[in-house]
Amino acid sequence: MRKLSTLYFIELKLVIREISGVLFGVVIPVGLIFLLGALYGDKTISDTSNITMFQQAVPGVITIGLCASGLMGLPLAIANYRDKRILRRYQVTPTSPLILLFVQVFVQATIAIISAALVLAVAFIFFGYSMIGSPLAFIGIYILLLLSIFSIGMLIASVSNNVNTASLLAIILYFPMFLLSGATIPFEILPNSIQSISKVFPLTQGIILLKEVSISTSPNISILMLILLGGIFIIFTLLSNKFFKYEY
Amino acid sequence: MNNILEVKNIQKSYATKQVIKDLSFTIKKGETIGLLGPNGAGKTTTLDLVLGIKNVDQGSIRLYNHNPIDFPKKEYNRIGVQFQHSFYPDYITVSEICQMTNVLYTKTDNYHDLLKKFGLGDKEKQKVQSLSGGEKQKLAVLLALLNKPEIVFLDELTTGLDPQARRDVWDVLKDLKEKGLTIFLTSHYMDEVEQLCDKLLIINDGILVFQGTSENLKTKYNTSSLEEAYLKLLKEDHHA
Repeated sequence: MRKLSTLYFIELKLVIREISGVLFGVVIPVGLIFLLGALYGDKTISDTSNITMFQQAVPGVITIGLCASGLMGLPLAIANYRDKRILRRYQVTPTSPLILLFVQVFVQATIAIISAALVLAVAFIFFGYSMIGSPLAFIGIYILLLLSIFSIGMLIASVSNNVNTASLLAIILYFPMFLLSGATIPFEILPNSIQSISKVFPLTQGIILLKEVSISTSPNISILMLILLGGIFIIFTLLSNKFFKYEY
Repeated sequence: MNNILEVKNIQKSYATKQVIKDLSFTIKKGETIGLLGPNGAGKTTTLDLVLGIKNVDQGSIRLYNHNPIDFPKKEYNRIGVQFQHSFYPDYITVSEICQMTNVLYTKTDNYHDLLKKFGLGDKEKQKVQSLSGGEKQKLAVLLALLNKPEIVFLDELTTGLDPQARRDVWDVLKDLKEKGLTIFLTSHYMDEVEQLCDKLLIINDGILVFQGTSENLKTKYNTSSLEEAYLKLLKEDHHA
């Protein structure tokens, strides 16, 4: 336990000192929620609905941190440790290098969860946000989405032979999801053609689910989407395990 | 049986290049062995094979009576390693890297004391990346000794160190050697191996070309300079 907690707290400090993870994962979504709160005010999604546009936007913004940590922070940190031959160093100690990978996953998940909590706190304190649906269902789907996005990040880490490849793959996956999945630009205003392309992203599916459970007391949950997210988690975890190397 | 390491007729190739062609040697408890040879001779590959990072193509290695490729994790407690070119996580401080290394092992030395011995006592709060090249190199050697190993593997331990820093490192190693530490090191410095090593292994192009004391080698080439003897040996081998 002492081993895990020492590694965890030191790694957490390193990620915070590195700043770009905090910038992309925490500062941007928190800034965005202020912006959206000011822009939307009390506007509702339609004249007949009492659901506000802000309520509909919050779940998307909550996922930005998860995406930044899972798709950028995680693969870059692991590829960096491989490049620096730190994983190789662990191979000749009594501790498995896998420990370092697990610690890195927990550290990145911590950043994602801090980001989500801050976004919710800002929405609640400054803009009177309230979740109409079940918070428990929301948390459950958030965790499922986190697992599936992080497993994609792990696969990037596994197949990248160096940090440059990892950052290229991370950027290719991160920015389309960031812009088109409904995390930043509301999914509802995107043209139909882009909506249908964007639907292949697990993040899009996750955000649709999160929106549904957060704005409805009797949400219409697609079991297929849940299976899709769970399936991505299992398949990508197996693939990243298969392709993982301590050294390229 | 007090052989810690037994290497028998090993061979290793990467793609088309055979890096280790034929190599055999043993290390007994308490010995300090220096592995010498020109760049590209196979020194680092030898370390990788002995430590179980890579597998041999032919031949056998026994480290504490285990095949290094399936070396029991727990047994790494007995071994300290300093790789050539050590890298550290970005933004980490000296005391953090010591704590991180500490928790990887079952029992460890007090890192504050070791830092003082290596002249790094006042650098604990400093970022590793802000240390000088020599200080980083000393830190790498220190981290290899942190788990109180029975045998330590040091790959080019004093490359980049100024003369005083080299003496500091040598003094610490000599002190630990007195206390029974077994040392396997690679080096390009003849004064260093003369100071520290009981026995030399010289490899050239993946083949062991000399094994013995530095006195043996100097006598063989009838010179008082180890460097001269070493260069003559390599030249002779090259013509052969």
